[in-house]
Amino acid sequence: MQIERVDEVRFRIPKDSRHGMRTDVLFYASDAILEQVRKDRSLEQAMNVACLPGIVGPSLAMPDIHQGYGFPIGGVAAMDWDHGVVSPGGVGYDINCGVRLIRTNLEKEEVRARLKELVDQVFRDVPCGVGGKGHLDISEKQLNQILEQGAEWMVEHGYGEPSDVEHCEERGQLRGADAGEVSSRAKERGRPQIGTLGSGNHFLEIQFVQRVHDEEAARCFGLEEGQVVVLIHSGSRGLGHQVCTDFLSQMGAAMKKYGITLPDRQLACVPIQSPEGQAYLKAMRAAANFAWANRQAMLHFVRGSFQKVFGKHVRLGLVYDVCHNIAKREKYEYDGRTVDVLVHRKGATRAFPPHHPEIPADYRTVGQPVLIPGSMGTASWVLAGNEGAMRESFGSVCHGAGRLLSRHAAKHGRDARAVQRELEAKGILVRSETRDGIIEEVPEAYKDVDEVIETVHRAGLARKVARLRPMGVIKG
Amino acid sequence: MAEFELLEHTADTGFRVRGASLEDLFVHAAEALVSVALDPSRIEPRESRSVEAAGETLEERLVNWLNEVLWLLDGERWAPGRLKDMRMEGPAVRATAEGEPRDDTRHPPRIVVKAVTYHQLAIRAQNGGWEAEVFLDI
Repeated sequence: MQIERVDEVRFRIPKDSRHGMRTDVLFYASDAILEQVRKDRSLEQAMNVACLPGIVGPSLAMPDIHQGYGFPIGGVAAMDWDHGVVSPGGVGYDINCGVRLIRTNLEKEEVRARLKELVDQVFRDVPCGVGGKGHLDISEKQLNQILEQGAEWMVEHGYGEPSDVEHCEERGQLRGADAGEVSSRAKERGRPQIGTLGSGNHFLEIQFVQRVHDEEAARCFGLEEGQVVVLIHSGSRGLGHQVCTDFLSQMGAAMKKYGITLPDRQLACVPIQSPEGQAYLKAMRAAANFAWANRQAMLHFVRGSFQKVFGKHVRLGLVYDVCHNIAKREKYEYDGRTVDVLVHRKGATRAFPPHHPEIPADYRTVGQPVLIPGSMGTASWVLAGNEGAMRESFGSVCHGAGRLLSRHAAKHGRDARAVQRELEAKGILVRSETRDGIIEEVPEAYKDVDEVIETVHRAGLARKVARLRPMGVIKG
Repeated sequence: MAEFELLEHTADTGFRVRGASLEDLFVHAAEALVSVALDPSRIEPRESRSVEAAGETLEERLVNWLNEVLWLLDGERWAPGRLKDMRMEGPAVRATAEGEPRDDTRHPPRIVVKAVTYHQLAIRAQNGGWEAEVFLDI
């Protein structure tokens, strides 16, 4: 594979390095990350994405890149809105998998004193849903409303505060969703799961702000050192998974119809302007709205948990909510012209800079909060979007630490209780519905999140605002 | 339950299964999928369900078939214990599943499987039988 170094943190694979590539691959990495990335097939996957019809600019990969299905995880691809394609695999099975960060008015030491009680309470109140059912009973009619209204539906029905919606990407509601394009199977699979966390890499963490790197931005986001925060990482549960499965199964025939051939069936795509492409986008937006409603319901439950333990004076406010598996229509100045594109972010986060009109008014002077969950027991980060992201990465940045070891390798020779004890020794309490939930997500299974953050910071895509350390972890 | 091997994948998981015939292969793949999602050792054959899928290519047929089994597990919350009367006619696959509604105390959940993917999917004839590799999004 022909990899050219552009600068300290940028690398390029030129489009003439393989037949069928329509554009270059541009990826962000430190030297250490580059060595890790070479070990799996993620760069090959980024080259496959470069073959998709209608791609504008390079096929991009962030430093948390790792091998996914079709698209690499940590990949970004902008497709021409009129002549490009939409790929359900470019969004992923977990549509609008995302992160929300909640600030509290509690200090680390106050929470430390009652941590066990708090973690157990949250574990009871926020079901992981491995057993398939949450605490909310939603009718079919209500579900259809949620699919079109997202987080706002939850707030209107008593599960939250109006300001919560102001602090969500897209205000927690993607326009142009159509519940009618979501199959009855997807609805049936997702309906009992609303308000549940899910398994795999999804988690809820009680954390504290360990270090502030940008005083002005941190103050603006309502964060200060020693303060306790809660981070929720979850998505659209079975509803989103089924939407992706449903549309992928139709794509084989549709691609034949449109004469599209691809190096990997999992990259399946159709023209954005085709009936199939439009139907997928309407269903995808509905699934995205389900995910925002899901995370909103969990915020409501967590508020209850904190109040049960610490009393009614406890305030929990939403800092922000971002999605990192999504395709959205956005406009950019690129190569001296305005481009109208569908940006696929597969394990990548939007990172709009200061003064962008899509940012909530109270954050507009510092830029959009970018929330990066780290691995269990290490650290998570709050960043702020920079101009650099608008110039070169279609307003996008990384989404996490990025996996290094397979789940199988992570399990090798490890015992869940021992991992739990090791984390407890570091002051981190873990509760999980399954034994595998703990060992498959051990910190060693992931890249060093700090190195990933350093890379995007140096690249100028986003800047460091605060580093968060976990105290309590709830997992599926 | 059939023997299967788990396969390495950075983000997710996969399995390799074998069968003396294509019918066997599809049955074993379904059993492997069930074993990834839960502990199947105590599933009782209390009820039966018919499972059907279709696909133009063998790959599509296998993915659609396994997604039907996943629907039983995650959509209907039903645990298939044994598959019998497997029939393959043209693009269609049909079988009868014997099992019971999921009960987390008797069939402890292992992990939520999001989907069966086409990623690195391989189906090949080998030593007079069949072998398949399937990756799951989890």
